[in-house]
Amino acid sequence: MKSGRFFLATALALAMAGQAAEQDEPQGSVVRVRAAIQPYDQFRPWQKKAPYGLNGTGVVLPGGKVLVTAALVANRTEVGLEKPGSAEKCGAEVEAIDYEANLAVLQPERAEFLKGFRGLALGPALRAGDMAEVWQLERNGELLRNQAEILTVGVGRYPNDEAGFLQYGVRVSLPKRDDSYTLPLIRQGQLVGMVMMYDRDSQEGTAIPGPMIERFLEDAADGKYDGFPTLGVSWTPLRDPNLREEVQAPKGGGILVTRVNPRGTAGRAGLKEGDVILSVGGMKLDEDGNYRDSLYGPTAIGNLVRVRPTVGSKARFLISRDGKEMELTGTYDRRARDEVAIPTLSFDAQPRYLVAGGLVFQQLTGAYLQEWGDKWTERAPQRLVELFSFQQEKRADPEKKVVFLSQVLPAAINLGYQQYSGLVLEKLNGKEIHSLAELGAVLDETKEGNLVFEFMDDPGRLVLDAAEVKQRQEEIGKAYGISELRRL
Amino acid sequence: MLGCGQDGQLREAKKNTVMVEVTSQVWDYRMPWNPGTVSSGRGAGFIVAGKKIITNAHVVSGARNITVQREADPRRYSAKVKHVAHDCDLAMLEVEDETFFKGTSHLDLGGIPELESVVSVYGFPIGGDRLSVTRGVVSRIDYNAYTHSGRESHLAIQIDAAINPGNSGGPVMQSDKVVGVAFQGFRGDVAQNVGYMIPTPVIRRFLKDVEDGKYDHYVDIAVRWMPLENPAMRKYLNRPNDGRGVVVTDVFSEGSSDGYLQKGDVLLSIDGHAIESDGSVRLEGKPVQLEEIVERKFAGEEVRLEVWREGKAETVQVPLKPADMFSMYEVLYEPPPRYVLYGGLVFQPLTANLMAVMAGGADLRLKQKYTMFATDQMYRETPEPVILSAVLPDSSNVYLRGLAGQIVREINGKKIQTLTDVGPALAANGERTVIRFEGDARPAVLKREEVDRSTPRIMAQYGISEVSRTEVGERRLAKGSFEKGDEK
Repeated sequence: MKSGRFFLATALALAMAGQAAEQDEPQGSVVRVRAAIQPYDQFRPWQKKAPYGLNGTGVVLPGGKVLVTAALVANRTEVGLEKPGSAEKCGAEVEAIDYEANLAVLQPERAEFLKGFRGLALGPALRAGDMAEVWQLERNGELLRNQAEILTVGVGRYPNDEAGFLQYGVRVSLPKRDDSYTLPLIRQGQLVGMVMMYDRDSQEGTAIPGPMIERFLEDAADGKYDGFPTLGVSWTPLRDPNLREEVQAPKGGGILVTRVNPRGTAGRAGLKEGDVILSVGGMKLDEDGNYRDSLYGPTAIGNLVRVRPTVGSKARFLISRDGKEMELTGTYDRRARDEVAIPTLSFDAQPRYLVAGGLVFQQLTGAYLQEWGDKWTERAPQRLVELFSFQQEKRADPEKKVVFLSQVLPAAINLGYQQYSGLVLEKLNGKEIHSLAELGAVLDETKEGNLVFEFMDDPGRLVLDAAEVKQRQEEIGKAYGISELRRL
Repeated sequence: MLGCGQDGQLREAKKNTVMVEVTSQVWDYRMPWNPGTVSSGRGAGFIVAGKKIITNAHVVSGARNITVQREADPRRYSAKVKHVAHDCDLAMLEVEDETFFKGTSHLDLGGIPELESVVSVYGFPIGGDRLSVTRGVVSRIDYNAYTHSGRESHLAIQIDAAINPGNSGGPVMQSDKVVGVAFQGFRGDVAQNVGYMIPTPVIRRFLKDVEDGKYDHYVDIAVRWMPLENPAMRKYLNRPNDGRGVVVTDVFSEGSSDGYLQKGDVLLSIDGHAIESDGSVRLEGKPVQLEEIVERKFAGEEVRLEVWREGKAETVQVPLKPADMFSMYEVLYEPPPRYVLYGGLVFQPLTANLMAVMAGGADLRLKQKYTMFATDQMYRETPEPVILSAVLPDSSNVYLRGLAGQIVREINGKKIQTLTDVGPALAANGERTVIRFEGDARPAVLKREEVDRSTPRIMAQYGISEVSRTEVGERRLAKGSFEKGDEK
């Protein structure tokens, strides 16, 4: 009897959900988004990899634009919108995209395409325990709606952001559909989040919360997207009383700064390694780096310094240095992320390269290293892994890009050099090289004589004849089917 | 004819091949204070002139008890290791009781057998207790990794007879001479019936080395070189296109060639043997790598190099010594692990053994320290990096557990360059001990008073009888000036 009652209760809940559906007119609020994806081949930077398609469910916004996750349209060649239940299609442009926050806004090529759709407004922030729905589109255009429970609200990793943003942990049972790459989270006819990861075994996933979407859309509204700011510090909790005593932390709360990027928000405000951050913008931090959020309770500092403030807004820190409290002020920005020698993310962009005498030079990026697979830290050339992973220690100057010999395309001219790869180039003919453009310039101005390439590691030096390199370029390009021998 | 020879060979082999039974103990680098686990194994050996027994180093590594037994005598005799050479996997045993040698003669060493010639392998492999004989054909003579040491490569002979546990250390014979010592099979499933033996030049070198009563390590010229095949490179170095010479690309500081050779030197000949542009020389009519000339020499001997430097030919005499900068990569067998215990914090020097037990627990910084230690010549600054290898849980160190695996940079303001620096640095005066690590990890801060109280408790709890073990006989560090224990 007990199980019978349980069944009845479930059926009742479903009936109610169905009722709500009619009121929401959901068909007029979502579109199918089809993206044609073709990433660049980092190991053969002159070509692209095999194309494939990704489909998702986009949310129509009140202004006649469409919201999707950035992951759906990364490395796209084309994005199209499709009305559910009809074959009517329309191309779309990406208007603003943020790979860290994993969000993108699409603008339909024809404004009238979304005429008659009802844009979904953003709903309030959710708390743990709240219920919502995940919407999926069936092949025939019918809407599939599944109850989702918000399990957790906290700062966690995003697919392309290690430091993390606020996210919802959700429990929901989602059937496999081909439009499931990105799915909206809806509550009472309002958009409250976007599901970005889902594990079919545990039936749990993570969603980008409404407040993140709100910040993203506000930023994108003026046509110039600034992105989420970053503090540019490494820190450690200050629970250990011995450590507190050593760094002369005042009683209660605060975190210890273990590294400061001088270009970042905190660095330019004057924060130093060894400082204890007591509060940010008037919000007190506890020993683990949590502030008390009015809505979520104790929440990690990440939300306080990356989501709440905008780029250009005022940053205020109360710190303790050598036991003395002081206030430091500055401006929130993203330089610690953007002004780096080796970028972490490089979607959509063709890798830079230069081929000379069969020697292939590339500019180091996180994307290149990732091409080595999950175990890239073990498999990629160790010097490149080191420069990227310990960039602040090894390559702090953002102007000094890392140019490296990625491979040698065997040809008579490079006989004896064909075993070398993964070598960081330091100089060409005595001139320091800090970008492929600089390398190209020195190559262009050297019409004859030797080209002496100097590398950071063994064998240290390789020599080619300048005139012969020029003479053989076309031949090597032809032999390997490379139409453009440089892209700086 | 062959039959006759075989009979003689079998008679001599039966008389002089011995079964070696060993009980050994392997140190546990996770708990370096423990005496380690006891295991037993069986190998083979053979009697050479002077009433000595030759076997593999790996048969007798970490031996606590060794017995030897002959086919003709059921008694087991106690044996001791006289010399062990882990770098070439050879050992010499002594038997005190003269009666063991009654009825034995000895086996003589032959030369390098011809390719495709037949050899016989004697030993006591799994599958029975009596002497076994297997025949095989010599299929390859080449440099090969000696897996026992973890880093060495020497000349080895591949035969098509399987070498199984219990064959190790046994003689491989052709007519009435020993032409090799069976020592390793092929790792993995890809090849079957492949065995390797240590050829007589390596055995002879070992026997000659120990004549003075002490085994010295193999010597190395400690340079890196590249083939000189590229015409532009040859022109740049002012070398005619005569197919001769290799160019020195790196000289290891503290190595044999430090102060004798320079980057950019072209090596033209070694001890009168002309060096080809691929690095080979002719030795006894056969092409071998130029290192083979050095391999056959001993510490303190010299090698004569004809060098092309700055447009002139010069002769350079390089006195040879072991390449101690690579000693970190040698698996340690006999010496007990060294450590220092402090308030539950265990400090150990970075060794191959430690890395083997840390494997998954080692972070990128530690892995890179290990892999790039020699090539980046880090030993010049820090001859022996010290690792906080473990934090033994205790109420006094709850906040420090996450620091296990960090590389110690300084203790109480003193730089840590070897394990022997740790004790004195910890003894510095002050209320607190501050341990700083490489990178941006937080420091470990301990109250001296608390450590004094917790240490006896931790030692009792974890069964540790000694608070440290830092002196264990000779250690080979790349910097000669650093502390050595008493040499034995």
